[in-house]
Amino acid sequence: MVLTARFLFYIIEEMKRGELLGSLEHIILLALVRLDGSAHGMIVRREIEERTGRKISIGAVYATLERLEAKGYVSSSTGDPTPERGGRAKRLFRVEAAGKRALQISEQTLHSMTADSKGSWETI
Amino acid sequence: MSLYSPPHIACRLFQTVVPVRYRGALLGDLVEEYNLRAEATSASAATRWFWGQACRSIPFIMGSSLRNGDWLISVSTAVGVYAVMGTLKLAADFMIAKLFAPGPTAFVVLAPIVFLAFTSIGGCAAARIRFGTAVFLALFVMITSAVQIITKACAIPVPWWYEFGFLTLGPLSVLLTPVAFGVLKPNSNGSAT
Repeated sequence: MVLTARFLFYIIEEMKRGELLGSLEHIILLALVRLDGSAHGMIVRREIEERTGRKISIGAVYATLERLEAKGYVSSSTGDPTPERGGRAKRLFRVEAAGKRALQISEQTLHSMTADSKGSWETI
Repeated sequence: MSLYSPPHIACRLFQTVVPVRYRGALLGDLVEEYNLRAEATSASAATRWFWGQACRSIPFIMGSSLRNGDWLISVSTAVGVYAVMGTLKLAADFMIAKLFAPGPTAFVVLAPIVFLAFTSIGGCAAARIRFGTAVFLALFVMITSAVQIITKACAIPVPWWYEFGFLTLGPLSVLLTPVAFGVLKPNSNGSAT
């Protein structure tokens, strides 16, 4: 127990400011990882909606992907324009090593926080 | 696959609000999904879906732009446009007074026309720079109108709805004229958006 708490504080201390993922950032990064690490906004939106049932707007997906790109967690590349897209190009997002590390840290933090307390809220 | 055209006004709204950085990609995704949905279900169902995306996306995108600090650039450019717009309006008022010397009735008729003309032009100029600028310009116009109503700047007695018209139609013309006429900053592809 003491060891777990120490581990948690160690992780938190190790984290640079801004490295903790927000819930939508977390879900979108996970969706990108599930989609072989690379996808465009609409595919990410569809994946989240299908897996979680959570209705999410394309604007929320893009705004979050932009934020993740600014943090260096994802990178993007532009594809070729197609007629089905009204002559607009696709923007493919890819998870970077920093993004995978941020996911790892978030997962560890969540795990540390829930490890011994699950029973208390699962019965509610 | 046959191509359908998504709702024009919703597209315009997206083009207005979404930052240039990801405007093309976002709209492309939406148009592609719209076509798939129109093919699978019906054009009206796809249109409803498109509007749903617009209504849920736009507040999020605007909030995100504000958090990113984009608002500072928007505020400063809005102040600039407001100053130019205000100066030109004063000059126009002066010219009208010199040329026509309108009486109180003519002034009451002319004032809203001149006001709306300048707020519309100002809105177009602001939105041409960035849409956030137009939003702040609309806010400045609303504040100015409110201050003028409260301080009773107009010496001529007018009904309440006349003043209320300035308060509402001024900001609305700043925001809606650029959307209606498509006078927006070009996107990265160079097309007028």
